[in-house]
Amino acid sequence: MTTREEFMARIRAEMGKTRGLFPATPATRPEYPREEAEAIRAQLAERWPEALERFRREFEKVGGVFHRVPTLTEVPQVVTGIARAREARRLVSWHPSQLGADLGQALAARGLTPLPMPPGEATNPTERARLRQLAASAELGLTGVDLAIAETGTLVLRSGAGRPRSTSLLPAYHIAVFDRTALVESLAQVGVFLELWHADGATEDRGAVISFITGPSRTADIELTLTRGVHGPKEVHVIFVEREIRG
Amino acid sequence: MSQADLSVPFRQRAGSAMKDAFLQEALTIATTKFIGLRREAFGDFPEGEKLRDVAREIKEATLQHLDRYLEQLIDNVERLGGKVHFASTAAEARGVILEIGRRAGARMAVKSKSMATEEIHLNEALEQAGITPVETDLGEYIIQLAHERPSHIIAPAIHKTKGQVADLFAKELRRTVAADPEVLTKIARGELREKFLQADLGITGANFAIADTGTIVLVTNEGNGRMVTSLPRVHVAVMGVEKVVPSMTDLMVFLAILAKSATGQKLSVYTTFVQGPRRAGELEGPEELHLVLLDNGRINQLAGPLREALYCLRCGACLNVCPVYRQIGGHAYGHTYPGPIGILLTAMLSGPASVKELAHASSLCGACAEACPVRIDIPRMLIELRREVDETKIAPRTERAVFKAFGRLLTRPVLYRLAARIARLLQRPFVRDGAIRSLPLFFGDWTRTRDLPAVAPRTFHERWKELAREAPP
Amino acid sequence: MTAPRVALMVTCLGDVFFPEVGVSIVRLLRRLGATVEFPPGQTCCGLPLFNSGYHTEARAVAARTVALFRDADNVVVPSGSCAWMVKHEYPGLMQDPALKKDALRLAGRTYELSQFLVKVLGRRGFRATVGGRVTYHDSCHLLRGLHEAESPREILRNLEGVEFVELPGADECCGFGGSFAVRLPEVSSQILAKKLENVEATGAACLVACDAGCLMQMGGGLRRRRSRVRAVHLAELLDGGGA
Repeated sequence: MTTREEFMARIRAEMGKTRGLFPATPATRPEYPREEAEAIRAQLAERWPEALERFRREFEKVGGVFHRVPTLTEVPQVVTGIARAREARRLVSWHPSQLGADLGQALAARGLTPLPMPPGEATNPTERARLRQLAASAELGLTGVDLAIAETGTLVLRSGAGRPRSTSLLPAYHIAVFDRTALVESLAQVGVFLELWHADGATEDRGAVISFITGPSRTADIELTLTRGVHGPKEVHVIFVEREIRG
Repeated sequence: MSQADLSVPFRQRAGSAMKDAFLQEALTIATTKFIGLRREAFGDFPEGEKLRDVAREIKEATLQHLDRYLEQLIDNVERLGGKVHFASTAAEARGVILEIGRRAGARMAVKSKSMATEEIHLNEALEQAGITPVETDLGEYIIQLAHERPSHIIAPAIHKTKGQVADLFAKELRRTVAADPEVLTKIARGELREKFLQADLGITGANFAIADTGTIVLVTNEGNGRMVTSLPRVHVAVMGVEKVVPSMTDLMVFLAILAKSATGQKLSVYTTFVQGPRRAGELEGPEELHLVLLDNGRINQLAGPLREALYCLRCGACLNVCPVYRQIGGHAYGHTYPGPIGILLTAMLSGPASVKELAHASSLCGACAEACPVRIDIPRMLIELRREVDETKIAPRTERAVFKAFGRLLTRPVLYRLAARIARLLQRPFVRDGAIRSLPLFFGDWTRTRDLPAVAPRTFHERWKELAREAPP
Repeated sequence: MTAPRVALMVTCLGDVFFPEVGVSIVRLLRRLGATVEFPPGQTCCGLPLFNSGYHTEARAVAARTVALFRDADNVVVPSGSCAWMVKHEYPGLMQDPALKKDALRLAGRTYELSQFLVKVLGRRGFRATVGGRVTYHDSCHLLRGLHEAESPREILRNLEGVEFVELPGADECCGFGGSFAVRLPEVSSQILAKKLENVEATGAACLVACDAGCLMQMGGGLRRRRSRVRAVHLAELLDGGGA
């Protein structure tokens, strides 16, 4: 068995034989990620309509469906519209504390079947298995969005308590709700937020996974024919809420 | 395994591939499509050229401080609750993974597409240990059912027709369905969904690992990477040491060019950042996370002639543009990694003797280097390998004798001119209308499909005297 | 401006198989006012040895060539690949410091023909020796080694008396690749076949290239299929001329 020490010693020995191919440095990281992130937010507070338009264009290009509503109150209507057209009922959702609103009642009132999920972890293994089967049986998954990247039409979702990974993965239809505060323009800007989320002193209060989602699950592995929904959702919808969700 | 039989000379393996009519059509369609998509993606992305330079520099910078970044990565993965393992060889990597599987009492492992696990031939080892490996990338799933190996880094089953896939599903899954990609995909979704929910072990590669945060990054289009890292109880990621990048900021540079190079997408559908096992408060996620750091010939090249091949992102762009790959496909190469970069990686893993034929499977046209997102100078290293094959006397004796004689001829102008005259005499019986249609011996390798120009009645050397006189005073 | 002095590096293929190309270049350059020299005793640039990995032998050939062209003001080469060898590989091959210095100087003064005409002499307007439609194949070393796509096209677009059309896949290899063409003849021939299908689809009478290797491959293939398309070197098309 190779130990860490042996392994690293081998690497150092080989590194010592060369100075490399050319002088090189890694990318320049933001020195003050918090301030830079705030600056991006401030710019987006003015430029968000352009960013949103670009996001919509790119999101639709990758096969996403874009919806827009004035306030959270209209979200259940859109969700049920999507569900009805697809004869889907069973819905899993991020916990209301993470979604920014409790839409369960409104959705149930419109004929959907929200499947209750706990706000945090399930310690009992049997209970965990039951919840997993429940999530796997859902047709619709409703989540929030941490960042929406205009350049690529991408949704960034962080897992955590009340934010199961499976909500955006197992159901055939993923519906994500967001507002203007989630918008960023570019991958470079996302880099700043990712640095911020991991900056010294940043509490690891979220789960262990960050997911970038750029459209529905796809494959072209059989004769290069594009097919959606191979493992993950076959449709991804976003609902943009004009009034800030946590405003 | 239907992997090409390495006892058959490469030239014959290539020849058989060129006789496979479906493969030929599939290759042309696939590579042409990928080339177009890539070109379009970068056409819409003016900053792409600059970012490719930056990405290249990050790769080089990382290798220059590889020890530091790996130590950082290891510390951070462990801080987040993961365990890091070290494998010098493929066998050691297999041993480590089997031990993890045994301890977990695993009976089934779901895998997302990973060239590193292909490289160490993990599936056979898992099977022998009683752990059923299930490939979950659709292309990999198909070729696993067919007991084959991937023929392209990112499109492993491009050599199969939908009809062949339907037959395969009928035979292996006892599901008889139409030869329609949509229907076939749905069947696979159902089959694999069950496996995801049952499997104890999730095995992945890693497209990147971020030193600064201990993050393992997986890029997929299907979502199987997310399944494999969220549902099974244990997650094992296998990664070559060169995949580490310093920071999130660096990662963004690679993400901006990786999918564009591979499939022409701005980003692949899923980029998954895994930071340790399930955390408190999370409903899902593995209880254990293991990262296996793999050497297997890489470390030797830090100061070796193939160092630059350690920049490779495994995007497959060099395969699509390679005129040789486009004719013969991936299997004929006979190793895990096909195409121009594959020749270098094979030499890295198995030594230069393993590529004494393959080192010449390139016209050195340079299309690979041009398409490479990090501008790896593949032709330069192929020449370097040829040199090694010559100098270590791995090359055939007759070949070396011919080239050495040719070298002597070229440094002796009198002999050189004499040789031209002798060739002119010898060619006489074969020349018709200034060209040669057929020659004996190995010259026939040229003339079978091409005329050869005859040695001119008078060489330029012989014409120079009168040309010199034409000069205006 | 004083008449430029040009030393012609005719190359081995140019010497033995395509002397007409060399003759055309000499006459063309003279009409353009240059003094043309032909350093005697030249053989080959050594690229075939170098690319096959025989670097000791290539070094000996290169050292000779560096010495032969030491006093040249400008070196013109009818093949992109040989020009690339001189410009890119010679300096690295030389071990003797004095030779390395000479090799670096030579690298700076060596030009592929179309580059010399357009970039050094500033000539782009020529009359054609033939009429009809012509198309152009980018040789790999000229395009991706010397990054030259424009000079030959500029000449062809302005060439009086012919119609220039782009070749689909012009930037794709013709399958020559030196010893590659005989080590893997089946692969090489299939690459060539696809190239020639594209060539014939253009309806061109002439396929132009700036590399003797590509011309040997494509010309040989065209003749074998009894095509009406002729593979010609750029120099053979240029009949002196104007601006």
